[in-house]
Amino acid sequence: MQTAYITALYDLMARDERVCSLLSDSGTDYDRLLARDFPERCYNFGIAEALQVSAASGMAAMGKIPFVYTTGAFLAYRAYEFIRDDVCLPRRNVKLVGIGMGTGMGQWSTLGPSHHTTEDIAALRALPNLTLLSASTPRQLAAMVSLAVRIPGPVYIRMGMAGESEFYPENYVFRPEVPELILPGEDYVVFSTGTILEEVYEAVQTIRGQGLSVALWDVPTLKPFPGGEILSALDGKIRAFTVEEHSVTGGLGSAVAEVLVASGVRIPLKCFGLRNTFAEGYGTTKEVRQLNGLDSRCLTTKLFAGIKLPNLDLEDPTSQF
Amino acid sequence: MNERKEIFLRAYKAGAAHLASSFSLVEILRTLWLGGVLAYAPNDPRWEGRDILILSKGHGALAFYVVLHEAGCLSREELDSFCLPGSLLGGEPHVGECPWVETSTGSLGHGLGVAVGMALALRQDKKPNRVYVILGDGECQEGSVWEGAQGACAYGLDNLTVIIDRNRIQKMDFIEHITGPDDLGGRFAAFGWDVKDCDGHDEGALKAALTGNWEIGKPRCLIARTVKGKGVSLMEDAPGWHFRMPNRRELKVFCEELNITEEELEVCKRPI
Repeated sequence: MQTAYITALYDLMARDERVCSLLSDSGTDYDRLLARDFPERCYNFGIAEALQVSAASGMAAMGKIPFVYTTGAFLAYRAYEFIRDDVCLPRRNVKLVGIGMGTGMGQWSTLGPSHHTTEDIAALRALPNLTLLSASTPRQLAAMVSLAVRIPGPVYIRMGMAGESEFYPENYVFRPEVPELILPGEDYVVFSTGTILEEVYEAVQTIRGQGLSVALWDVPTLKPFPGGEILSALDGKIRAFTVEEHSVTGGLGSAVAEVLVASGVRIPLKCFGLRNTFAEGYGTTKEVRQLNGLDSRCLTTKLFAGIKLPNLDLEDPTSQF
Repeated sequence: MNERKEIFLRAYKAGAAHLASSFSLVEILRTLWLGGVLAYAPNDPRWEGRDILILSKGHGALAFYVVLHEAGCLSREELDSFCLPGSLLGGEPHVGECPWVETSTGSLGHGLGVAVGMALALRQDKKPNRVYVILGDGECQEGSVWEGAQGACAYGLDNLTVIIDRNRIQKMDFIEHITGPDDLGGRFAAFGWDVKDCDGHDEGALKAALTGNWEIGKPRCLIARTVKGKGVSLMEDAPGWHFRMPNRRELKVFCEELNITEEELEVCKRPI
């Protein structure tokens, strides 16, 4: 996904002189291409995320379109107040890109919770004026980056690192206002956001192989949340599920629940994700997902159980605290 | 105009303001806006040729508004509305409300980083505009100030000037009593800034310093030595006045020393 990001950003910088790349010692070898061809528009502030975000605000105030690129955990958590006060409050045209979604830092997840991005949706979704996007595949990310410059004001893009599966065609055009139907189905519906889609896809395919009719949607836009589209996707379904490599507090599941409650639509909803815990363990991203109950096999079991239960096994609400 | 009297009356009408922090800033702001340091067009806050001023110690906002009024940038009505319902002038500067505010401040440690971005963009576009940032000395306890200080030097931003309102007092006490003796000028110099200092209540000295010779290729830092609460004996150099108004007994001293008549006070009395 990093390659897709740099390719898309390179293309933007070649076409639009306002676009700048801002790093906090957070680039890769690919960034050297940008620095080689657009040296006057590439900045590395050193390990200083607060400055990286504030400076982006100042550059945007002067008419630039800065892309702020660093590890999602350091961007969303460490620089949160700078995103809030310097970018969202004055509605600056800053594009924030957080790398490493959920537990994964590419094919490996060996760095532990300090590098996990498992509460960022909850934190960022609360910020006024911010468009919040969560890319599931490299092509979707590239399309988001290309579109982000046409969205006036602050945009935050969550992205993975490397090795993600692809679900979209080469000519994919990102439409921020709609979720993407990955698999059609009549009776059950599963919503997923971000790179966990590859695990959810496998799980849903396994369940469909058992004769159950399950729809799978990728929800790339978390804010503004496409509530109307979500309700349409729920139409006629028996039960709904959300899966996210994120806390179930404040993330995709919460957003779907808010839509359900506000609309008065009554349909059982079960949310899968991290429940009042940091993700644990080390290994490949797949192994760490497994340790946290979020790989395709665990998800298959959970979805089966959710579908087969006569009544929803509602969690003890106090367990979230 | 007696700016401190004006600041007090506006605060009195609003019910509350950071009086002491505003009082220490008056001559710094007068020098910038009225002393021919800043380029600006009173009728066009967005004029492209303007120099940028960021009041990073946002709690000095009231002094900023009073001097903007003197400079012909804000009307009497606008100034009189300070912190009243419907006003565009809040207790901390907010962009999108007062048109002369370049970025929202209030949470300390934000202004310098934003200024670094503005200075980089101006330099990238080969524009001559300067960026000025006023920091509080207490504000320099924020780590983000030093991220900005480091970044400004890394990029050699000589189109950026920091002015430190060096009043030596923060909300609860003298800075020295909280974080120990410091040498802000030495710290900025060690980061690679060109540093000067002067009496922050002497407009001639401020102007001479700001418009004097500075090293090429280095960001500039002027330590303006000030007195917190300057102008009212009760407040001068006295911790405890960070965000409070005088009581009835103290009010008499304020009125005497700021030449405020009973009638002037009465007009600003706001029925609650």
